Amino acid sequence: MNILTKHEHTPLELYYPEMAEITAVNQFTELEKWFEIKLPDGKELGHQPGQFALFSIFGIGEAAISICSAPTKKGAFDICVRKVGMLTEKMHQLEVGQKIGVRGPFGTGFPVNDFKGKDILIIGGGIGIVPLRSLINHVIAYREDFGRIIILYGAKNPDELLFPDELENWDNDPSIEYHVTVDQGTPEWQGNTGVITTLIPGLDLDLDNTIAAIVGPPIMYKFVLMALKSKRLPEDNIYMSLERRMKCGVGKCGHCQINDSYVCLDGPVYQFSDIKNLPEAI
Amino acid sequence: MNKHNLLLQNIPDFVAHLQTYGEVHAPCQKGENSFSFEQVTDPSRVVLDYARTLQSIRKYFLPPTERLLNFSLTDNTFTKVAIENNHRIFLGVHSYDMKAVLKLDFNFSHRTPEINYLKRRENCTFIGVSYEPDDYHFSRSVGITVENTEGFDLFLDRHENGYTVQVLTERGTEITKDFTALGEALEIPEISRQFKNKIKFNYNRLPEVMEQSWNSPVWEEVAQRCVGCGTCNLVCPTCYCFNMVDNVDLKLTDGSRDRHWDGCLLSSFAAVAGGENFREKLASRQRHRIYRKFKYITDKTGDPWCVGCGRCTAYCTAGISIVEIVNRLSDEFEQTHLRKSSAPVGQKIQGVSL
Amino acid sequence: MSTQTAPKTKPQIAFFDFTSCEGCQLNKLNLENHLLEILEHVDIVEFREAMDDKADAYDIAFIEGSISTPSCVERIHDIRRRAKILVALGSCAVTGGINAMKNLQPIEDVRETVYGKDKYLFPTLPAMPVSAIVKVDYEIHGCPMSIPEFLVVFKALVMGKQPIKPDSPVCVECKLRENECLYDRGMVCLGPITLSGCDAICPSFGQFCTGCRGLVPDANKNAMLDILTDHGLSLQEAEKRLLLFNSYKQPDTFK
Repeated sequence: MNILTKHEHTPLELYYPEMAEITAVNQFTELEKWFEIKLPDGKELGHQPGQFALFSIFGIGEAAISICSAPTKKGAFDICVRKVGMLTEKMHQLEVGQKIGVRGPFGTGFPVNDFKGKDILIIGGGIGIVPLRSLINHVIAYREDFGRIIILYGAKNPDELLFPDELENWDNDPSIEYHVTVDQGTPEWQGNTGVITTLIPGLDLDLDNTIAAIVGPPIMYKFVLMALKSKRLPEDNIYMSLERRMKCGVGKCGHCQINDSYVCLDGPVYQFSDIKNLPEAI
Repeated sequence: MNKHNLLLQNIPDFVAHLQTYGEVHAPCQKGENSFSFEQVTDPSRVVLDYARTLQSIRKYFLPPTERLLNFSLTDNTFTKVAIENNHRIFLGVHSYDMKAVLKLDFNFSHRTPEINYLKRRENCTFIGVSYEPDDYHFSRSVGITVENTEGFDLFLDRHENGYTVQVLTERGTEITKDFTALGEALEIPEISRQFKNKIKFNYNRLPEVMEQSWNSPVWEEVAQRCVGCGTCNLVCPTCYCFNMVDNVDLKLTDGSRDRHWDGCLLSSFAAVAGGENFREKLASRQRHRIYRKFKYITDKTGDPWCVGCGRCTAYCTAGISIVEIVNRLSDEFEQTHLRKSSAPVGQKIQGVSL
Repeated sequence: MSTQTAPKTKPQIAFFDFTSCEGCQLNKLNLENHLLEILEHVDIVEFREAMDDKADAYDIAFIEGSISTPSCVERIHDIRRRAKILVALGSCAVTGGINAMKNLQPIEDVRETVYGKDKYLFPTLPAMPVSAIVKVDYEIHGCPMSIPEFLVVFKALVMGKQPIKPDSPVCVECKLRENECLYDRGMVCLGPITLSGCDAICPSFGQFCTGCRGLVPDANKNAMLDILTDHGLSLQEAEKRLLLFNSYKQPDTFK
């Protein structure tokens, strides 16, 4: 039997990027920059909230970055990039009209259809708010499909809060319960100070009908999970997105493997009950 | 199934005959004491009687370094790279290396089939050869006998004066039918060659052993002796992890995106750009390597992802043996889990709070 | 700061030598095939081995040799002040190299052995890598410096990106080239714990690795010593092999 035809999917050219155009940029903080990107020929990326793509600049390399717009945004999509390495540093130098390589979307996002009719509790720490924004914008776009929308957002200090305009909209929207906290306030800061877990005990949740979506730095997960556990939120209701090193995005290169799970295929979004027995996950 | 006899003195002619059908790649002497698969130009250089080659034939399908695309920095565009898939005949492949290719076929066709690998795999003929297991081979323990013919078009089984040639596929018939020096197969009793090196438990019990071995002291003990050089990954015929890098020419106008073999034993394999390393300790990387061979894919497919070639052990300068690791974990498993469950009744009752 | 309208000038680069054999600089002249292409991208403004010109400021200063006298210290501070990017070139500059073996002996004994009764004319210090005195931006390892790594770093700097720092050992490059392991030829080799980036040039030509590129991060030295003694070296010989290029700050490690 022919090796090329015997499997269910057609073998693909997996490593060629689409050359997409940057159509808008916004420098949120010194480290974080937002980009709007348009695929050639008006093509849609076709992603689900929580999925990622691989972005590349020739001569520099390629890295996995979450999509931060909801699929309801048509004609273009958004990413928000923290400057942490060579590629992201070069990405920050890109301007409107320049092109960037895109492969994807990849991975498993939030199962938004399963979330219908539920209360949605979104917990984002630091740049964890970036992949969550795709979910937030989705549930806002289909507001009537969901129950309460509760957003908890924590950052190190007020200067590091991302999407400033949208934070204000969430705060002013009576149908969204938005709470923000910073580890360290400034003299002008009027809001909460303290780590994000301090926002959890005060929540009054309909436990069986609440879905929690968590994204943040590795250290945050342990404490947020403990706080949700003491709230007695069922484990099956908790979803989280994990970050790992990725090269291929298609379950081959091995870098993102957590025990027997490939983050690029099975994740980055996991149901907590699927990873609680994976010792390398959290 | 057809069988023929091939005398030792006819091997160079046989190789020359095969060359009329395509490129022949076979083990040749490399260095002082090693062998390597190379494209045959001089049939007399082919060595069919060898213990193992430095690298398995995976190097043909997943090359050590591979150009994925060419780019131009001047106009920010790229061009595709043609994937070569000439007809190639691999002569003198051992059963474990063939099995390893079949496993890689799974890895590269499952969930997201990859054209790069599969296209290179497309036009291949495989001719197996038997071998005498040395101190490192343990294929039998992972279910692969020396004489296992799975995947081969022809199989050459060594006897005193030459080889019994088993014709296994139509392709095998095609490439042998015009070779007149093949004689009638001799009446030789079938013998199964013995392995000195053995895994203690049947391989289907190893996922269970690994399940209980996560916190074993064995990992730290192995890490004490290991220098973390990654050789075990890089010589493994079923390892396929890779890295991707962009290389630019000295004119700084053009370049290529290349991939090259990587290894989960190397220190920064699981490190992310932010600085976090998810398998920072050598002990956790050794454990990951062993789990990748005997647990993770095995849980899903029922097959171990180790073929018992012995390369990781034979080429480990620190003398770390994969069989020894697995056997020590099996011993521990036996002592702590099997003994416990078969403990005398009296002891069991003591454990229950009354 | 240059404005966008200013004409694009080539980066000004300079080479300086400290305590060393100057072999790295010669090795650079051995770049022959690449030299003209290199000069397309940069202007060399100071290079004692090849020219007489001098300049006041440098975009990139390449430093060869270790710091081993009080005047070296002064000079390297001066170069650092005038250089935007400073690159240590070759093992003497990167790790102290072979020179640092002198640190294993009392400094006065070394001075007396070398200069005899004139020793007071020659003030000396323990041999140090450049990074012990000033901030080093990038390192090119090797004795002599590895040409493949020089090209990687050079291209990255001219492109304005950070070069990827190797952290895997020579064995990786050796295996990618399908070399026969030198241990299987009865040799002992430091490839397992020596930083890659040289494309395993020595083992590829049948010469065992002497460790000239320095150790990989978190090298398991005890395991390496076991390997060397298991392959026939005495513990003392094995330690000497490891110290050849790794003497700086190392003397206490093995005690």
